[in-house]
Amino acid sequence: MKTRDQEYRELFMAEALEYYDSMSRHLSELERNPDAGPALNELFRLMHNLKANARAMGFTDLGEVAHHLETLFGLIRDHERTFSGPLIRVVFAGVDALGSMIRAVGANQPLPDASALLENLDRLVRGEAPVLDDEETIDTEEESNRKMELSDLVYIQVKKLDNLLNLVGELVIDRDRIMTLAQELDNPALLATAQHLFRISDDLQYSVMDARLVGVGVLLNKFPRVVRDVAAVEDKQVELTMSGQDVQIDRNILQIITDALLHLVRNAVSHGLETTEQRLKAGKSPVGQLTLSALTERDDVLIQVRDDGRGIDTEAVRRKAVERGLTTAKAAATLDEHAVWAFLFEPGFSMAQQVTDISGRGVGLDVVKLALDSLGGQLRVESQLGVGTTFTLVLPTSIAVKGALLVEVDERPYAVPLLHTDTVLALHPGQISVVGGVLVTQFHEQSVPLVPLRQLLYDEGDGPLPLADKNDVNGPQHVLVVNYNNRRLGLVVDRFLRQQNIVIKPLSKPLDTIDLFGGVTLLGSGQVCLVLDVPALTRLFLNKRP
Amino acid sequence: MAEIELAAPAPKSERAKPAELVQLIVFRLGDEDYGIRIEQVKEVTVTPEVARMPKTPPFIKGIANLRGDIIAIIDLEERFRLRPAGRPLPERSYTVAVEAADYTLGLMVREVPRPFTLPLSQIEPAPEFVQDSSTRDKYLEGIAKLPEGGIIIVLDMRKLLTPSEVMRLPGKGASS
Repeated sequence: MKTRDQEYRELFMAEALEYYDSMSRHLSELERNPDAGPALNELFRLMHNLKANARAMGFTDLGEVAHHLETLFGLIRDHERTFSGPLIRVVFAGVDALGSMIRAVGANQPLPDASALLENLDRLVRGEAPVLDDEETIDTEEESNRKMELSDLVYIQVKKLDNLLNLVGELVIDRDRIMTLAQELDNPALLATAQHLFRISDDLQYSVMDARLVGVGVLLNKFPRVVRDVAAVEDKQVELTMSGQDVQIDRNILQIITDALLHLVRNAVSHGLETTEQRLKAGKSPVGQLTLSALTERDDVLIQVRDDGRGIDTEAVRRKAVERGLTTAKAAATLDEHAVWAFLFEPGFSMAQQVTDISGRGVGLDVVKLALDSLGGQLRVESQLGVGTTFTLVLPTSIAVKGALLVEVDERPYAVPLLHTDTVLALHPGQISVVGGVLVTQFHEQSVPLVPLRQLLYDEGDGPLPLADKNDVNGPQHVLVVNYNNRRLGLVVDRFLRQQNIVIKPLSKPLDTIDLFGGVTLLGSGQVCLVLDVPALTRLFLNKRP
Repeated sequence: MAEIELAAPAPKSERAKPAELVQLIVFRLGDEDYGIRIEQVKEVTVTPEVARMPKTPPFIKGIANLRGDIIAIIDLEERFRLRPAGRPLPERSYTVAVEAADYTLGLMVREVPRPFTLPLSQIEPAPEFVQDSSTRDKYLEGIAKLPEGGIIIVLDMRKLLTPSEVMRLPGKGASS
């Protein structure tokens, strides 16, 4: 894998070469028409950007030339100098020098000396005549012979990559179909070809997915400014530490979580971290620590927002949840921390005012949750009162392919994304009891409610589910335990089919309003298979539980 | 196919030219002939395997895979309550894929749909008397009287296919 340095250098090169080409174009325009305002403005802007980029990369000499030229173009723009006479030659020499310097950066060579040029530029800025010798003319001719260069990088619209990914998705579906057919027909030649097709389309799929990956840094690097601004408004001292900018993730996933992450970071500074005074009183260092980090864990990318602030007051959240009628006082008393924190992600659940400790933490957290749900991601919370809070976004690396478990109900397959599945159980009737009209089993010393998937999907009306009856439980029950927002739910299915990677297609209109399904996928057999949306199923169960 | 724009030229100017011909795809619902303008039809095919879709009105038979597109399959007989009692859909049915502005829907029909060409002037705007017969009159473009007798009820797919119309349960909101 490329190092970050290399990647930045390539990006710098691509941009710099593009700037250089534009500069040459605008200079020619300016030579024809010395009063061309737009060309002048453009040159000023290009010089400014190149200067900033070069300085950020540590190419000071390059930045210096760009800086001088920027100053000079500023003067021309303000009509203090005119684009005429010896100035033209110096400017052309300057842009040519930029070209050779950029090429030197690309070839990893030392930058050519530009002191004579810089002196001339200085003279022009001061309003003196430049010192020119004839050699430079020759240089310029050499330049014009070398100018034709194409960048090694291609800018591409994300839309085009999306389209490519969709096509690959289709291809993978057909490939699986051909594979199935080949196995059924049992023709060796066909099988060999199908296997070859399998490998190629696999490679193609990963290449396309790879082309969509960007470093998490492109998003994280926007945060120092955000943190500085919010901290300034709140009058807090915050030190931001970032790590894992190199971790690769699909560009669209990063796009989707941008707002969520912004929300978490803002919340961490304005509500998670205490004021300097409060921190000193609590015996902490006056400067609040905020950490933004990315790391990979198996196939997932984790992005963490950690603060060493006041932490979540679990008891306050518990009281608020009862107040809001989200749970009964009796039930609330038995919930563990994680179950209580899950209330923070209920829509409109705000801790503002009532509990200053974590005021505002609930505002918009449901939005964070929704963004993650739409990706099939998860949100984890860790918090300790007085010590700090960590929000972890668990994200898929790529949106294209997801692992899923296929289950069968009424002879139809349904896919459940693995991200939300905990375990599968085969339960004897003796392991199932009825509590409050709901089937319940014990799993990891926790009682997990069970519900037949058939009932959730096909029972009509908005009324509660029928009361469960122990006598209806005959023979072993196949149970898929799913997990959403730290709530476990056992789905009773007819049988388990298999685990496989699926390409999820969104449901098209008009069916996209049914939120129980995250989409559909086509199985190798050509069969249409609905992909269950575990968050929506869980919500449906909670609304309908008797 | 996808380029076919459903927003056809303004009907008024079409009516001004009596010689203009209209091509319809005609199919039977209940005991009546229904037609859709051919430019609103994407393709006609034997109904593929339909996967039942929970939480949808009963006239949505489910979803099917039509050349990689997942489309909803709709039973208009059930939607318009035209199915004579005791006559279930046959084992082999046909699907007319019609295109709305940004998605495709399948209409399930019992017999092979057939093309039919007639002068536009033969299509009369829907008369008053059908208005209380069922909900379908809202979706009519008009009624074509055939010289040899019989009528074809011409549906306007653009009105039928708005998502809110498709999802509306039969009988509910019919007066709105």
